[in-house]
Amino acid sequence: MTTKQQPLLEVNNLKQHFFLKKEKLFGPQQVVKAVDGVSFEILPGETLSIVGESGCGKSTTGRSILRLDEPTAGEVLLFGKNLVNMNKKELRAARKDIQIIFQDPYASLNPRRTIRKMLMEAMSIQKIVPPEQQEARMIELMSLVGLRPEYLERYPHEFSGGQRQRIGIARALAVNPKIIICDESVSALDVSIQAQILNLLKQLQKDLDLTFLFISHDLSVVRHISDRIMVMYLGKVVEIADKHSLFSQPHHPYTKALFSSIPVIDKHHRKERIILKGDLPSPLNPPTGCSFHTRCPFATDKCKAEVPALREISATHKVACHFAENLV
Amino acid sequence: MKQETVLEVKDLQTYFYSSEGVAKAVDGVSFTLQKGETLGIVGESGCGKSMTSLSLLRLVPSPPGKIIYGEILLNNTDILKLSDEELRKIRGNKISMIFQEPMTSLNPVLSVGEQIAESIRLHQGLSRKEAWQKAVDMIRLVGIPAPEKRAKQEPYQLSGGMRQRIMIAMALACTPDVLIADEPTTALDVTIQAQIIDIIQNLQKQLGMSIIFITHDLGVVAEICDKIAVMYAGQVVEEGTTESLFEKPLHPYTNGLIQSLPKLYEDQEELSTIHGTVPSPYNYPIGCRYAERCPFTTDLCREKQPELLTVEPEKKVRCWMYSNEWQGETHMKEMTV
Repeated sequence: MTTKQQPLLEVNNLKQHFFLKKEKLFGPQQVVKAVDGVSFEILPGETLSIVGESGCGKSTTGRSILRLDEPTAGEVLLFGKNLVNMNKKELRAARKDIQIIFQDPYASLNPRRTIRKMLMEAMSIQKIVPPEQQEARMIELMSLVGLRPEYLERYPHEFSGGQRQRIGIARALAVNPKIIICDESVSALDVSIQAQILNLLKQLQKDLDLTFLFISHDLSVVRHISDRIMVMYLGKVVEIADKHSLFSQPHHPYTKALFSSIPVIDKHHRKERIILKGDLPSPLNPPTGCSFHTRCPFATDKCKAEVPALREISATHKVACHFAENLV
Repeated sequence: MKQETVLEVKDLQTYFYSSEGVAKAVDGVSFTLQKGETLGIVGESGCGKSMTSLSLLRLVPSPPGKIIYGEILLNNTDILKLSDEELRKIRGNKISMIFQEPMTSLNPVLSVGEQIAESIRLHQGLSRKEAWQKAVDMIRLVGIPAPEKRAKQEPYQLSGGMRQRIMIAMALACTPDVLIADEPTTALDVTIQAQIIDIIQNLQKQLGMSIIFITHDLGVVAEICDKIAVMYAGQVVEEGTTESLFEKPLHPYTNGLIQSLPKLYEDQEELSTIHGTVPSPYNYPIGCRYAERCPFTTDLCREKQPELLTVEPEKKVRCWMYSNEWQGETHMKEMTV
């Protein structure tokens, strides 16, 4: 990936602000800036992961890209076309190329439809498979995700959690997408099943040339599946880098604390744990300057006053911290 | 240091009765817990780990659930033989519990200070004022800033991490001998999880209690437990010290579980998996419950259920491979955790 490739997906200054109901008629408008100026690009065939803790805006970013929540501002360029200013019809056509798999396969499958109906619906909305080939395509999809073709006639409740997640994947694949957003897609699964699904995703990526935007809070899963990783905190990107560089040399104090908090089995790899003080600040009233300064062990007056820009410290590594160089 | 057994569980069986039949959620679980020791119980969903912990406090919802057999000896008193009143004196006093989701275990309309003070008043007979003071002290002890102010607040005004600390404060208010922590950090973010684990470990040192830590997260148990019991399909399949379990897992299931975790310090093309799924608790196979998924299965495994064998002092495993009757392959995949 050294030559400059055309990105498949490019997100520029994406913002997702939620306006809350006013408490008083003439009171101030309260705004939650769930995603606040996020930019990144994904190259064809790569896996970019977004990590961060609850409320950091990682899932909202995924949803805004697909316009499941209408973004407040920003651009989402898929193959150079901006999804944000498309009309409904154009957007529907564009969604053929970009699909999403959710965390909870129980909640995202219609309990009253058989698997056959679900796959059929996806294919007929996008009109990509001629009717006479649909049957063969469904059987192909089932085998791709490792389910038996006779399961097509079954309902979601007849499957285990891991199998349901496979159905979610088959449904996303039904329209031949180029990029799939996986929003905590393996978080609800037991480790042995999680391993099966992760292997499946990697295999599919190879076989079908897929690109993934992988959203997760589980750092070892992210380490396994990604090429590059983006760390978010309170709606902003604090660090983005290729995974080896990020894991071997995290620069942002938040990334460091996050990595040091992961419980590890092998005691030879245990790092000195950095225990952060306090909780995540309220997104209704985010701190001034660097939003991490309230919990950062290295915060200075500059951090309280100035918002640090996301800047390049090497060709593959960007970080938003005033003192990134001094903290390594 | 002389070992002193605080809790001993013998052959515990908790079954659930429904129209579908009898689900053997806990099926013959035994373990001991020494003073000051931390025991981890790990396993995947449905293995019976939470039902084991609920059984210890006799909190199994009944009906449909019922503890049908076994002994739970807390300081040599069998909890299963206590009257309701005697049981109340022990719960929250000698043995207490924290759960995964603090919001569902806290009373939403009472201040948290009052909720902590209540158990102090009941168990220690302190006055309202003294109990309140002690509650505030407990809130300070679990590292919540401005405890006087926080004690007056209601659960919804606190963050998830703070609520879990309140639960810990409540559970520890009467300095119990045994704390049962059932997935206490599962709903929390890793940085908050690190804080909570730190607090539990510090308090354990100060108060000298024993802990049973129930979780599906192998990383967490590796860091905090002295010994570990691995459960599968209602039974303990392996038990040993934390070090031995991770360095040399004996049971193929334990090995499979450890191998299927993505590694943090190594690139892997493919993760190893355990194929198949857990058998239904309504219909366990007659032989080994793991036989269907095990790469080493022989006819013996399918026909007869293995006992929990003691292979070394402090090391037990429920697998035919370690018995004299074994005739299959003995080579287990080398561990590289």
